[in-house]
Amino acid sequence: METSSSSSAPPPPPHSIPASGVWEDASPLLAAACRDLQDGELVHGENFSLFGAMSALEIMDPKMDSGIEKSGYYSIEEAIEDGIAPVPLSLDRTIDVQRTLDVMDHLFSCEATWHKGHTLAQTVFTCIYLMRMERTSSHAILNSFCRILRATCYAVVSVVSTARTHEEEDLFTMSFGLPLRDEGDEKCLSILNSVEETISRQLRACKAQALSKKKTLEGLESLQDNPDLEEDYCRALLCRLRFRKHFYHVVTCLRKPHGKGLELARKHVASCLTELSLMLKSRDFLKSQSNHTLQQDDEICTTASGVRPVGFDASLNSRLLSPAPPRAVKILSWSDAIRYFEKLLCDLDIICSSPLDPVLENVLHFVVQFQKSVPDLVPRAFLQTLLVQDGKLYGRDLSCDVISRALSLPDIIGDKEFQMNEFVVQLGQLVINLLKILCTNTAWQRRKLGKSLQDWSTISIQLELALKREFGETRNVLPHENMCMRVSKQLLVWTQEHTYWVAYRFLILGFELDLYSPSEYCMVYWYMYVVLMKLIEQMQLRILASNENSRRKGKKKKDHSKDSSRDMAFPSSCLLLQCYVLLSEGLSMMLAALRIKSNLFQLPSIFNSEQERFIQHFDLLQKARLPEHITYYSFRESASHATIADLMKYNFFKEIHKITPSLRGSFASEPEKLAEIRQIEQVAEHNRIALNIISQVRAGDPSLRVSFEFTHHPHFAVAVVKRS
Amino acid sequence: MADVTSTPDDSHRSSSPPPQETAAAAGGSQHVEQLRKMLFRRMLVGVNDGRYFLGLFHCVDKQGNILLQDAVEYRSARHSSPSPTEQRSLGLILIPAACRSSCHVDCSVEGSMSLLSL
Repeated sequence: METSSSSSAPPPPPHSIPASGVWEDASPLLAAACRDLQDGELVHGENFSLFGAMSALEIMDPKMDSGIEKSGYYSIEEAIEDGIAPVPLSLDRTIDVQRTLDVMDHLFSCEATWHKGHTLAQTVFTCIYLMRMERTSSHAILNSFCRILRATCYAVVSVVSTARTHEEEDLFTMSFGLPLRDEGDEKCLSILNSVEETISRQLRACKAQALSKKKTLEGLESLQDNPDLEEDYCRALLCRLRFRKHFYHVVTCLRKPHGKGLELARKHVASCLTELSLMLKSRDFLKSQSNHTLQQDDEICTTASGVRPVGFDASLNSRLLSPAPPRAVKILSWSDAIRYFEKLLCDLDIICSSPLDPVLENVLHFVVQFQKSVPDLVPRAFLQTLLVQDGKLYGRDLSCDVISRALSLPDIIGDKEFQMNEFVVQLGQLVINLLKILCTNTAWQRRKLGKSLQDWSTISIQLELALKREFGETRNVLPHENMCMRVSKQLLVWTQEHTYWVAYRFLILGFELDLYSPSEYCMVYWYMYVVLMKLIEQMQLRILASNENSRRKGKKKKDHSKDSSRDMAFPSSCLLLQCYVLLSEGLSMMLAALRIKSNLFQLPSIFNSEQERFIQHFDLLQKARLPEHITYYSFRESASHATIADLMKYNFFKEIHKITPSLRGSFASEPEKLAEIRQIEQVAEHNRIALNIISQVRAGDPSLRVSFEFTHHPHFAVAVVKRS
Repeated sequence: MADVTSTPDDSHRSSSPPPQETAAAAGGSQHVEQLRKMLFRRMLVGVNDGRYFLGLFHCVDKQGNILLQDAVEYRSARHSSPSPTEQRSLGLILIPAACRSSCHVDCSVEGSMSLLSL
């Protein structure tokens, strides 16, 4: 093992490495000492810990040592001198255009890969043209493309770092000292526009020439030398450049304060999608022109033409990534990148369609609806920066005004005393935090929501205590009590309602993350039922109080028509929740009855008891006392009495069908809600049939097979009964 | 120092057996004790691919795997030497004996003879 150092004199260390004295060769001593050491013996100082040593980075380990020599080049300069990134890309002007297009396409794939959670250094900045942009100044097309790409990357990084939604994908914003910003980048649009103008003039000239059959293009510089290909190359370049331009506009418009750029951003999103489809169309032409022997499979190739681009070296930057392990990065294929951008643009379009509604309920609904399509990091960051700016909703509405609006107390908006109230200040902070949390990815969102429950419940306990202290025990809202008391009570009800809203969302996200096993569905649905009951209770209290408010206001202002229409909306949202209550209760009871009747869905685990699992799942709710006096024993008590016969008598699933027709009527104008109702009906119907079958089977019959599937609703299971 | 490196094989053959005996007797050989004095000194380790690692000598095992603390990697910026070196900090690193090509310790001129001679 030691021979290499002891058999011949090692080379002296380079002079550039500083030493305080002289470098003396220690290899012989090391070799001798190692021979003398006992097996397992170490030479180490007092501060040594074996555990700490475990975290040492192992040199020459391909999975740990990012500096390991893989590429042929030690530096970018060396790679450039070797000619791997020539400018122009070829002396043949046709090949130059081809190669430029390949570079653009590969960069496009790299950008999508970056958005998907890899580092900039290993994706976009593997491009040597981008690393040394000044070299491309003589190549107007490439230069303008790289410049606007870099400006876009910088803008996206700053949005994501402002939003801080990237906790899980923290590689995203790391720029490792890459040349991400340069002075000239503000002018990127004007540079791009002039290039675009030149090419589109050339394209017009090509068309005119085709019509007039003239042979020469006077006064215009052709893109390349083959006049037959000129038009197609112009088109291929134009759609790529225009995509970049519109995408840059999308990013800048979305960043405008108070959502002022949304309308314009939406137009640019539409243009981006058009250019994307043109890019796809150009593929056939580019494929036909490229060298067939160089072409790769569609599934892996990162360019439209299928040819590997020049000017990229994936390993040059890897040494920048210390001390992170040098992960192997697979760049998305060009087709996948197109699909990624299509999805991204659709998600951004949803954000652009935001009505900037100041009513909190609608904002929450909007975000939840947005998250249903599982948007990626970038659109989530954009949504968050739109919703919360400077600690205000849309950077416009103070959170205390949002709360007073939610309490239907419009006459209090802007009221200094209300704004200064410590509870209102705290609640405002919670609301802003809630909005931010809802924009994060599902896993992170659930964890954060769970933790925030404690804050929500603490503040409602404090509110309740303050209320008791100042106004005594009465809880009913009487018509002639004073304003202050009325506001306090409503604030309490509103807080509790939102606490249960958060708790409910926390529970259902567990289904999206596959955290529950079928044997636990029973307790999960039971807990959901309990939480939903509380949510409805608080919602009804709030509606009562707001009706009271609007009645008073109506007396004063004769403004009945508007208010009554809003009052009508509340009961229907209550009824919708009622459906979920019935589903939860029905499923929970059905599972409990199955456990008793047929020994199905019992916990088979020898490692932890049911009670331990209950605590694992609901600890955060229990700590926050949501709801109060609910423990594992309350669950066991209610589950132990469930029978199929009782379930048949009071059939929860049948009840749902009594509610839905009226709901359809009140949500007639909202297709989204109608689809939701349809889902509920399907789950109810399937479970009703399953229940009928189960009730006909004798107790303990081993032929009964029941499984639960999420075929009709992501959170509410459908029982599938089979008899073997 | 010079004669040690010029005849390393001889020195090992002649010096190895006695310390092992003393190691059995006193619980540590002279060489191990000498190496122990190197702890916390600046050590420069070269590896097969031409890189050098400079860090504080932290630990070594019987197989000759070295741990360096607060290590900095030096590499030449080009294949063709001489050339300027690039450097980056790595923290705690483990250099397996198999890839080590050289090992130097930072010594004051007068201390070098006494500390490193076998």
